[in-house]
Amino acid sequence: MRLGMVIDLKRCIGCYGCQVSCKAENGTRPGTTYARLIKREWGTFPDVQRLSIPLLCNHCSEPPCVDVCPTGASQKQESDGIVFVDGDVCVGCRACVMACPYGARYYQDREHTYFDSEGPNEYETTRYLEHVRGVVEKCDFCRHRLAEGLDPACVTNCMSKARIFGDLDDPDSEVSRLVREEGGFPLTPEAGTEPNVFYLPPDRPPTNDRQVTP
Amino acid sequence: MIENQAQEDVWIPSACSMCYNQCGILAHRKEGTLVKIEGNPDSPYGRGRLCARGLAGIQMLYDPHRVDRPLRRTNPVKGIGVDPEWEEISWDEALDLVTAKLAEVREEDPRQLFFSGTVVSLSPLMHMLGTFLPAYGTPNAFVSDGHQCGNAEHILARTLHASVTTNPDARYCDYLLLFGCQAGLGTYYALTTMAQDVADARVRGMKLVVVDPYLSQAAEKADEWVPIRPGSDGAMACAMLNLLVNEYGMYDAEYIGHHTDGPYLVGEDGRYVRDADGKPLVWDTGPGAARPFDAAGRPTESAALTGCYSVDGKRCKPVFQRLKEQVAKWTPEEAEKVSTVPAERIRHIAREFGEAARIGQTIEIEGHELPHRPAAALYFKGAHGHDNAWPTSLAIELLNEVVGASNVPGGLMGTNPVCFGHPETGFPRWNPTAGAEGLLEAGALLHNDIDGPTPGWPPPPESAELPNLRDLIGWPITTCFTPAALNDDENFGGAVRPKMLINYGSNLLMSAARPETCFEAFKDCFVVCSSLFSDETAEALADIVLPDASYLERLDPVPNFARHHHPVGLGDWGHQIRQPAVEPLHERRHFCEVLLEIERRLGINEVANLMTNFAYGIPPEFALEPDEEYSWEEISDRIYKGWFGSERGLAWFQKNGVLSWPKQVEEVYWKPFSEARAPLYNEWLVRYGEDVRRIAHEKGMSGIDTKGFLPLPDWFPCQAHKPVPGFDLQAIYYRVPWHTFSMTYENPWLDEISRGEPYSYYVCINAATARAKGIHDEDPIVIEGTDGARIEGRARLTEGVHPEVVAIANNGGHWARGMPLAKGTGVFFNQLQKMDLEHTDLVSLSMDCDARVRVYPAEGG
Repeated sequence: MRLGMVIDLKRCIGCYGCQVSCKAENGTRPGTTYARLIKREWGTFPDVQRLSIPLLCNHCSEPPCVDVCPTGASQKQESDGIVFVDGDVCVGCRACVMACPYGARYYQDREHTYFDSEGPNEYETTRYLEHVRGVVEKCDFCRHRLAEGLDPACVTNCMSKARIFGDLDDPDSEVSRLVREEGGFPLTPEAGTEPNVFYLPPDRPPTNDRQVTP
Repeated sequence: MIENQAQEDVWIPSACSMCYNQCGILAHRKEGTLVKIEGNPDSPYGRGRLCARGLAGIQMLYDPHRVDRPLRRTNPVKGIGVDPEWEEISWDEALDLVTAKLAEVREEDPRQLFFSGTVVSLSPLMHMLGTFLPAYGTPNAFVSDGHQCGNAEHILARTLHASVTTNPDARYCDYLLLFGCQAGLGTYYALTTMAQDVADARVRGMKLVVVDPYLSQAAEKADEWVPIRPGSDGAMACAMLNLLVNEYGMYDAEYIGHHTDGPYLVGEDGRYVRDADGKPLVWDTGPGAARPFDAAGRPTESAALTGCYSVDGKRCKPVFQRLKEQVAKWTPEEAEKVSTVPAERIRHIAREFGEAARIGQTIEIEGHELPHRPAAALYFKGAHGHDNAWPTSLAIELLNEVVGASNVPGGLMGTNPVCFGHPETGFPRWNPTAGAEGLLEAGALLHNDIDGPTPGWPPPPESAELPNLRDLIGWPITTCFTPAALNDDENFGGAVRPKMLINYGSNLLMSAARPETCFEAFKDCFVVCSSLFSDETAEALADIVLPDASYLERLDPVPNFARHHHPVGLGDWGHQIRQPAVEPLHERRHFCEVLLEIERRLGINEVANLMTNFAYGIPPEFALEPDEEYSWEEISDRIYKGWFGSERGLAWFQKNGVLSWPKQVEEVYWKPFSEARAPLYNEWLVRYGEDVRRIAHEKGMSGIDTKGFLPLPDWFPCQAHKPVPGFDLQAIYYRVPWHTFSMTYENPWLDEISRGEPYSYYVCINAATARAKGIHDEDPIVIEGTDGARIEGRARLTEGVHPEVVAIANNGGHWARGMPLAKGTGVFFNQLQKMDLEHTDLVSLSMDCDARVRVYPAEGG
């Protein structure tokens, strides 16, 4: 099994719901956004285009972050291809942060809280227990949710239904079909990392199918 | 209280309130702490998906800067930016002070109590408006975010769609034309559900055209972005109407003849021509004679839509003929001069819109053959946030009406004006009817959505002894004009003056034009704020601040305006609960519970109980007894049982969260099943305009100008179009869907978005315009209005904004000590906004939400 995600740039409305749904699910500290979004603009008025591009770990088939890890903390899960960090083994050297071409890894050098001078609030006191200072953290496709039969939080929440999750090794899966039939492409393929997050082009032709997707 | 917290791990169904839309949520509480908020998949309000704000509500609950105990001002000086020098007091002490003042004011004249609220905290706002204020005896309430609100859209949604708002029927729509609006793409009604439907439609092939001076989130997704000069949308829409009805002949004669007043004859006096019984007449081309619109109890099949006739010696023309003549002067070339949108582009959009509407075609849905008109044009603040709001909004609305794309599959839909009620109880039940003149009569509009207290047609002007603006112009359902009227002695000097202000949940100094407006209006009052934060309004004005319970800490039995919080189109109806995810922290209290206690202390609880029965439409079986005391839980229980039966009381909703049932085709696509006609011609405004002029003249209100009381679409410039030498730009504001007005700037997760996002904390200026002024990206700049108002911000050079425009997101730039995270983030647009009669459309009370400005580098920048 090779778990992967398809992000439909035609559907995405750039609302940042993915960034905050990830934050809410994983209770991450300030500045850590496993799911995030960038906006890019090109052209000259009035022929100008703006595009919102959601980003997250690409769970690459050839992950440079795993290769450079000196302790073996950064691993690729054999059963499904999820790239994750074992916080108990990570020593915080941050070689992986440098190696990742997607900026998908985060390191907190101190215990940042959102209401800085006030210290952690009740929520942060509870949720930050899940995070260890001094180690690298990243998206793991919400492994804890997958274990319960759920999709990653950003997929479940996306209000324009722009994120589809599944097994890219299964040719009959929705993600495989979309990549094959709707022109799915990865980011920075030249890095040779063989990403498992694919994007559908924003300007692709209509399906003309009135069937409402669930 | 919560017991056994050590083992606790629960999911609580409830309702969001981080913006107006109030979606369904699930709150995850572990060992007494709220650890996550998700969308509730069982709720038709969001169908399990939330926006960034809804997900981030948890950081408002636990914000250490919240007001946790009642506060009393010790600094006798009030002022914008002044330190109130709060001291904490007990609830008993606070309520003693508040009740004593309320009693004193009521004894003298209860109308001296004013109230301001926010539509974001909707349910307690409606409870206050429907129960406490009438029981106390004051009509003087306003919504401080009224200028952010629907204004003209609400009036037209009422007269054309029997509702309060509109949305496109995305499931069947093939062509969506948005004017200054982000329906299903950014901030708009039922965003989290409409976003799903609009995304499906776009993938399917619905074309999206967005007319907006700024490359908004909606425009970013558009197949065509049409940058336009702000405030000129009406000119483009008039030109499109002209092309459709005069040049292309693309109009739905069957729809106009049977479902609008298109055939009604209008005389040269601007009134319908009526028979002796007052029935509007049409011209029957069969016998060649005038006859009542419903002669023989049904519409006249052969009624003329065009031509000029003579009835009893008086010349008259059908409404549709008048419309054709009215818009004839709006050639695309004329519209181009005003709007900067090229004439050829207006032509091609008009043609595409007309073709997409498939006039004459039908579609079968669940066994019903219905008109299929898959084109919708809608608009919001960008188009109607101007003092030409009324004719602009009317022009855009009539695009749908002339092609018949109104409340039929694929068209523009009133937000759910027809509901037959829950299958077991028939509640809540809404159904618009045809009035005596055949025109659509809106049913109940708000959350007392039960047959009975139906407001019907907009109320006429009244000549009160001490006229205030709302006596004169009472039909717009929201306005924030009240403070401006209080500052306008010349026109409203005779009106009742406020001695006390209760402000619930709103930050009126930041939300209703420049802060001086509201400060001046209420600076001599005793001011009580029930607030989450010691915000700008509390610090400048409040004598007492009551620590409000947030939406995650309170019970609201009717959290939604069911009509417009539901998405349109087929799907489910639902009624949900808002219940505490955690008990109120510290000494925070739910405003509704505070009101119950004040009512008892004041001795107005018996009347309040009766008002509660009326406001919520509680049937007699479950009605409150006047002389009994009820807790908020008991009242909630009776509302639920009254609507959904004795087995579905509060306990049922606490456990299940939401009660849903499927919508029916006859509810959703109600127009073909209704005899009520939508008025293309607003004869009521001709009549009301005469009354307003007469009353204003009698009372010496010289500033009341009724030039905008137009029965048919037109366009005239707004205040920001007035040329002033040296002031070469228009400043506008736009909205991003991760902030709500000014309230969310204190939320760190949402602040984190704006800090990482390129535009929303900046002033967006066209790159070429900026370069010509020597302004570089990131430069500190000054934006100065023609009246000397100044704001500062940092420039963001972009190609995504009209060259004559600077665009500013939402309403940032907080300065209150009590909101330290928000302080100084974003740009305070409202400082540029002047609120007075001159900047207000008196038909809709919509204000000019833009300003003529000049922009230059800040000194030392």
